[in-house]
Amino acid sequence: MQRLVEFSPQWIEAAAFERALASGHSPHGLATEVQFNIPVGCKLMLVPIVRLLSLANQLAFVGKLVTLNFIEGETGAMGYLNRMGFFDHLSHNVRVVPGRPIHSAAKAHYGGSANLVEIAPISATNGEEIGLPSRLSDVVKKACGARADVAALESATWTIFSEMIGNVGEHSGTKLDGYAALQVYSGGNKLQVAVSDSGLGIMETLRPALKTQHPHLSGLSDIDLLVEIFRQGLSRLGSERGCGLKGCAARAIKFHAELDVRLPNQRVLLVPGVSGYTPNTAFCSDKLPLLWGTHISFEFQLT
Amino acid sequence: MICLQDVMDRSEGWGRVQGRAVFQRLLSAVEDHPGVEIFRISFKGVNRIDMSFASETVVELAKRFRQHKGFCFVDLADEDMIENLDAAAARKMQPVFVWSGNMSRLIGPPPSQGVREALEFVLGKPQVRSSEFAETRAGMTIQNASMKFKSLWESGYVMRRESAADTGGVEFVYSRIQ
Repeated sequence: MQRLVEFSPQWIEAAAFERALASGHSPHGLATEVQFNIPVGCKLMLVPIVRLLSLANQLAFVGKLVTLNFIEGETGAMGYLNRMGFFDHLSHNVRVVPGRPIHSAAKAHYGGSANLVEIAPISATNGEEIGLPSRLSDVVKKACGARADVAALESATWTIFSEMIGNVGEHSGTKLDGYAALQVYSGGNKLQVAVSDSGLGIMETLRPALKTQHPHLSGLSDIDLLVEIFRQGLSRLGSERGCGLKGCAARAIKFHAELDVRLPNQRVLLVPGVSGYTPNTAFCSDKLPLLWGTHISFEFQLT
Repeated sequence: MICLQDVMDRSEGWGRVQGRAVFQRLLSAVEDHPGVEIFRISFKGVNRIDMSFASETVVELAKRFRQHKGFCFVDLADEDMIENLDAAAARKMQPVFVWSGNMSRLIGPPPSQGVREALEFVLGKPQVRSSEFAETRAGMTIQNASMKFKSLWESGYVMRRESAADTGGVEFVYSRIQ
């Protein structure tokens, strides 16, 4: 049985990525073959790229025949994905049409752009690149140089990146790599950072511990619980842990960043209000096609 | 004095994995000086640390030796680092003082209203007895003052050592962690 995931010939941000996934009727389902069609004019943004990479590797990991079909070839989205290092981290079991790039543009131009940080693996087995948070925050500093608070922003984002990346290495509990990447969108006056893992979702690890550690929270809906994870810093490992996510959220709120969290079947967009992230300013989509892991992205304004 | 930078591999520290490795070196540094009661941890040369690293290293150290050895931070002015240390210390319920000359700043859990005045009293002198505090407060019994000081010591805000009382018994002398 084959599933076909059709992307639209337009800019694909996180919501459009979900619409495309839904068109494929859950690629993680019973299908033995999954094909992703990326048509002429389709421009994938950073967050969908990192999520697509994770999904394709997940599907290949469980033995499905996965095909990424780039209709426009290297002159289209494929060229940009090559620059981001997508194919350097794509499972060798994934078929690429019209064929994988011969040379990696990410390796050739590694670290050479002031507007992006190529996709970096976060390996549960080999650890993560020690200088990765600094590489990411250095780009933030350059990209947001026009902001009066750029020094504070750089410092805050370093903390966010280090905590998020550290979390992936420690908590995801999977043999599949996680990923981090950054892209500046000067035209859109924004900067996106994506950190993804393919392990157990944050809810799956926390829910079982709630009954003993925070019984009063065990009845919360997923969206309310997710908000509390960022507000209170809940952790399955007890009351002494969990300050990382809480601290990340506090820094992100300080700089009015939107936080997008994709869980195995849900996506929650947290928009900072006057009281920080609250359920009232959270937008949730549930019953989404399965995507293993926790995929978090932050979006900051450049000016 | 322990220079944190000397036991780190680089000027930035992040994540629990790195933190646990650095903690072992900090522990060795402490155990190499069994007679020392108060350690000043210098952040000179440390550019950044995140909350997880702070939690696994210096905050864990202070918590591990609470009531036995005191730890305070010096050469620390970066607000982001202080914010991360504060978050980690609050989470572990471990107070720590950051000293700049004779000025101190408390990070971690704030003292409860009931012992705040007693803490201010201890901070104001090199060493104090609960009887001295009781004398300066109308209606305060020595027993009540002793309980407040003991609570501060148990929670990690101050140090305590035994001393011979004028009456021949034993009394406790409390001091700030500096």
